[in-house]
Amino acid sequence: MKIVHYVNQFFAGVGGEEKATVGPEVRQAPTGPGRKLASLLGDEHQIVATVFCGDDYAASNDSAAGEILELIRSTGAEMLVAGPAFTSGRYGIACGRVAAAAHKAGLLSLAAMHAENPGVAEAAPAPVVATGLTAREMAATLEKVALAVRKLASGESLTRDDGLVGTGARHNRLAGSNAASRAVDLALARLAGDRSATEIPMPDFGAVTPAGPISDPSQALVALLTEGGLVPMGNPGRLESARATKWLRYPLDELPALEEGTHISVHGGFSTVIANADPNRILPLDVARELRDEGAIGTIYAEYFTTTGNGTSVADGARYGVEWAAELRKQGVQAAILTST
Amino acid sequence: MAYEQANDGLKRLIHKVQSVQFGDNPGLNNGDLVASESQLQSLLSSPALAWTRLTWARPGESVRIVKILDSLEPRTKGPGGGGIFPGFLGPALPQGRGETHVLKGVAVVVAGKLPRAQEGMVQMSGPAAEMSFLGSTNNLVIEFEPAEGAGWPQVDEALRLGAMKVAVALADLALEAEPDEVQQISPLNPGAGSSLPRVGVVVNLQTQGAFKDVFVYGRTMATSMPTSIDPNELDDGAVVSGQYGHPGLKNPTFVHQNNPVVAALRERDGQDLIFGGVILSPEPVDQTLKELTSAHAARMARQMGLDAAVVTKEGGGNADSDIALKIDAMEAMGLVGIGIFAEMSGPDGTGPPVVGPPSAATAMISTGNYDERITLDAVEVALGGKVVDLNGLEASAEMVLPVAAIYGSLSPIGLGRLTCAEEVPA
Repeated sequence: MKIVHYVNQFFAGVGGEEKATVGPEVRQAPTGPGRKLASLLGDEHQIVATVFCGDDYAASNDSAAGEILELIRSTGAEMLVAGPAFTSGRYGIACGRVAAAAHKAGLLSLAAMHAENPGVAEAAPAPVVATGLTAREMAATLEKVALAVRKLASGESLTRDDGLVGTGARHNRLAGSNAASRAVDLALARLAGDRSATEIPMPDFGAVTPAGPISDPSQALVALLTEGGLVPMGNPGRLESARATKWLRYPLDELPALEEGTHISVHGGFSTVIANADPNRILPLDVARELRDEGAIGTIYAEYFTTTGNGTSVADGARYGVEWAAELRKQGVQAAILTST
Repeated sequence: MAYEQANDGLKRLIHKVQSVQFGDNPGLNNGDLVASESQLQSLLSSPALAWTRLTWARPGESVRIVKILDSLEPRTKGPGGGGIFPGFLGPALPQGRGETHVLKGVAVVVAGKLPRAQEGMVQMSGPAAEMSFLGSTNNLVIEFEPAEGAGWPQVDEALRLGAMKVAVALADLALEAEPDEVQQISPLNPGAGSSLPRVGVVVNLQTQGAFKDVFVYGRTMATSMPTSIDPNELDDGAVVSGQYGHPGLKNPTFVHQNNPVVAALRERDGQDLIFGGVILSPEPVDQTLKELTSAHAARMARQMGLDAAVVTKEGGGNADSDIALKIDAMEAMGLVGIGIFAEMSGPDGTGPPVVGPPSAATAMISTGNYDERITLDAVEVALGGKVVDLNGLEASAEMVLPVAAIYGSLSPIGLGRLTCAEEVPA
């Protein structure tokens, strides 16, 4: 089977963070980890091309997945392998989106990344195999990927034993007895010593390591962000009051502070009366300006990012976080204050 | 006082109703229920209501009921109720003894607009009918219009009392009829000396102010600490719902009258467990009070000698934390706590199922994903309102909705068979 491999700019050998904005390109040969994967696959399957793209470009442009898919199709391959992306958020999101797009276009598709990478949620319904945390586990990961490629190519589906992670979609169904009877059964099972019995696995929200402090705040470019649903009057971008499906960016420019009547909160999870009387209490621009004038912080980034946190899915929230970080990094922002409500 | 006399328990006289209609010769004969529409209408008369309308909605009919508020099972202990719904119709004294006539297969359903009420509906035919307990009962639907100038609390109270009186009047029709089944239910037996495990239930009641409140013996549970009652008291309507939020996740009066965990524990009492008791607890909105009531409920469970308790809830993520805190507190005391949760894992079922999970206790029962979509076929008749508030569509139209909009679909007190599981190849 003819395979096309997707990697980011780093694994394509193009460069590191300074090259994260490069657009998608194709090379008619295995590249980087693709060379090792090709040797593991032997003569049976061939990696005919590598498509790569910068992480920022891939994770922050809505059109990127479509552009990458065009290149993938141009190679004539029947199967796509994306990654492994390990715990890299932007790379994982790109792999997930590319795998989902290729799957939709009729190619066999597979992505590889850590189970907690937000890209896992993007890949569905394309399968994802789990990897370790970092590229130090590249060799073992590629062996797993090679096995998964062979299995998919032979027409089989992947299972947990193959390292399949998932978002493991959960679906409603009717049980044999009502929930009350099952709860009593579960109580007796637990009393009898079965400590693992449950119908709902404990959700794992992962852990985020906070960034280290910045060395000199007085020189820093600082961004203000909020999940408090703060938008310009009239809500021009139609941000949802709950279960937001998007985030938006609006200018602050040199506004000294927010004023009643220019900005409102559309958040549906709390009474917005006080917030709307003084929008600075959601996005603390007034205090930030004071700190800047005192010299405590350098500059305030000229836009703010906003979404609504009320009822928004964890997968969407994680994706916004990755996209915000990529965008802020691109703009040279060193620190951000994200207010929650 | 009467209450000090020996308690022999409760005798349930079950009347199975096969058909329902209005007519001039009210009564129950061989399962055919005939009720006088004008007599029932007169029970609903109130200065707070401009008019009320009564309509039967039967299983299999092309009918949808929207904007459902509370629903009740018709029961009576004698002419006029005889102490049923204590604190509302009868005196606020412990019930759960003597005889109670029960009409099986019938519900009284109040449908219409009240403040803070969230749109909840039932389809009487097709696949969606299975999602609600009201999809298989003969429902007497009470529609209404508030009187001009009437305050919402007065409208709410008029509907609550009116619906109870209608429920009693329907059950009164069975007073002379031969019951299909008689069930003698003993009061709770402490089961001292038994080597079987003692299992009880903690029933969390949503108490978030007007229109989101639950009453125990006619009084709001909002300001109460957890308390213990005999399960037979639930049978006689000691707990009444005035909670109109979270249609899929609510526990209407009907469900408290038929508490499913109590039924499951009764069924196995003396076989593989001892039914150890019922604790009622509020679900406060304040975190400190949540922690206090949870610690107190867990301590009560231990003092009652329970080895395990099933904890049920009413409402969404806020109420999840009430279960989580309680089962964690029980776990810390060496008791087994089981929580009944509904899942909130997004329309495609890929999000984390519970946003506020317990930290130590891990035994959870799922009543389904409330975000999953369900299609309701168009119907000939819609009762309760003309438009569905959730989507602005005509109330009888075909529509796709989250399961959460189906009344009682995700019953977090454990009434339904709906559950949720991951679909992964083995």
